[in-house]
Amino acid sequence: MNPIDELRAARPAHLGDTPVDERTRAAELAYAMARPRERRRRAVARPVWGLGLAGAAAALTAAAVVVVNGTGGGGAPPTSAAAPPASSAPHKVRLPARAILLAAAEKAADQPEATAAYWHTVSVSRSVYTVEDGGYQVVDRQRSEMWTPRAIGGEQWGRDQNLGAVPATDEDRAAWERAGSPSRLTVQVPGKKLEPMTLSTSPGKPSTRHTPLVDGDKVFWLGRNVTMKDLRELPSDPDRLKAWLLRSYGGHSTESDEPMSSDTWLFQVSVGLISDMPVTPEVRGAAFRMLAALDGVDVTEDVTDAEGRSGTAVALKEPFRVNGGAVLRSRLIFDAATGRALATETVVVEPGGLQADLRPGAVWNSTTVLESGWTDTRG
Amino acid sequence: MTDDSHRFTSMYDECRQRVWAYVVSRAGRQVADEVVSETFAIAWRRLDDVPSPALPWLLGVARNVLRDTIRAEARRDALAAELRSWTEGDVADEVAERMGVLRALASLPDDDREILVLVAWQGLSPRDAARVVGCSATAFRVRLHRARKRLKQAMQAAEPGQERHGQERHGQEPRGGEPQGQESRPRVRNLSEEWS
Repeated sequence: MNPIDELRAARPAHLGDTPVDERTRAAELAYAMARPRERRRRAVARPVWGLGLAGAAAALTAAAVVVVNGTGGGGAPPTSAAAPPASSAPHKVRLPARAILLAAAEKAADQPEATAAYWHTVSVSRSVYTVEDGGYQVVDRQRSEMWTPRAIGGEQWGRDQNLGAVPATDEDRAAWERAGSPSRLTVQVPGKKLEPMTLSTSPGKPSTRHTPLVDGDKVFWLGRNVTMKDLRELPSDPDRLKAWLLRSYGGHSTESDEPMSSDTWLFQVSVGLISDMPVTPEVRGAAFRMLAALDGVDVTEDVTDAEGRSGTAVALKEPFRVNGGAVLRSRLIFDAATGRALATETVVVEPGGLQADLRPGAVWNSTTVLESGWTDTRG
Repeated sequence: MTDDSHRFTSMYDECRQRVWAYVVSRAGRQVADEVVSETFAIAWRRLDDVPSPALPWLLGVARNVLRDTIRAEARRDALAAELRSWTEGDVADEVAERMGVLRALASLPDDDREILVLVAWQGLSPRDAARVVGCSATAFRVRLHRARKRLKQAMQAAEPGQERHGQERHGQEPRGGEPQGQESRPRVRNLSEEWS
């Protein structure tokens, strides 16, 4: 036998013509097609939102609705396990959503930044629970403060404090008072852990923890675990940022193996990036631009976060279904004047599973960002 | 789907594994996915320039991506691990010969191995393979002839009975996240916790 034939016969099985697995395929196609095409002939028509804000505002008066097809700037990554391939029918996109996000992008990119020894964040997380006897709902609140070292080799410090549970609405407060204003509440925790949990209405003591960085250098989760260096060196170009993030997309949810479309996944991950990660102002701006380029982005002005602060909310029109059957939508609330994040929220679209007791439109959980910035002192 | 995305997807389905296999044979599995996704991202961007058949063009792009993005040293290490993995494991009699061929291939200089793989495993004609490595078809034939000779010599020299290599274990990235909702805060879990 000639050596080439022998070599052909000896090809390792994994290098043969086995089909690529579906997740890798979805992720790689989405990654590739997330980028704009290079046309041989330069495109004649620029998308309206490429004109900059003044142009966009001018265009607004002319036409409130623009029609965008999937291969335009930003593009619609097709094929994923969750969403069928995007049809070739054009999507109607309301311009104001993009204009608002682009304005936020400019504000975010203009924020001053002076790095220091630690990235410091203070946030309050809230989750809604149903009280076992009584049927009313309460919100449990957890304050958490974190110091993440700029240099590798250090430790991540945290301080957590339970702030206590409060009735969710005025109606719930009335029900709680009718029940004798109990200070300890047994709540249902549906799902795997069937044991009820006890909440207290009074705050707990703060506890401080410190742990070495995972692998010695990983500080945050951004689709995958990333180092401070990764975060500081993220691309400040929206297309490149999107491509960078989508490399970690595996066709499924950020929380489980549930299928999730790449746009939804990207939205979830970028909301985390915008809300409390130590990225440069330019990258935060790029993340807003990237959101502006997604199809089906919904922007709502004058919403109030759980701290009572007023802001603008951005969400994907397309909600997602989670384990157990609920349909949810996550949204980011930001301050339009600074492009800073105020809160992230998960809103119930269709009750079910863990969110069976909630009404459509109810906020199931939220995290409000009270502080985020650099500091040299660890309080 | 638009015509472009349809064409691109068909091209991807037809060629993806071939490109992957080529990159694996050049730089190991660790970096292959990254290089492949970059290659197809370039192919999408430059779809107007992609000839038919696309495979030789794609392999050429992958070759450039590999050269531009993966450090030579990292590539060598990853490839060494890959080549070891081809020739490890329980060697039954019927596969001993195959192992011998692969060992011989692993022992060759990088350039020889690339040429042989393009022809034997990717099924490229010398003309197409020449395009991938960026030389003339004539020069390629000469190089192929020499590479084939060296492979034959190495096959004769390499008889079964070499030491077995230990299994390479690649680290899994730690991954956090209890299914408790859309936790927007970053999550980091220790590897030990993930796997306990």
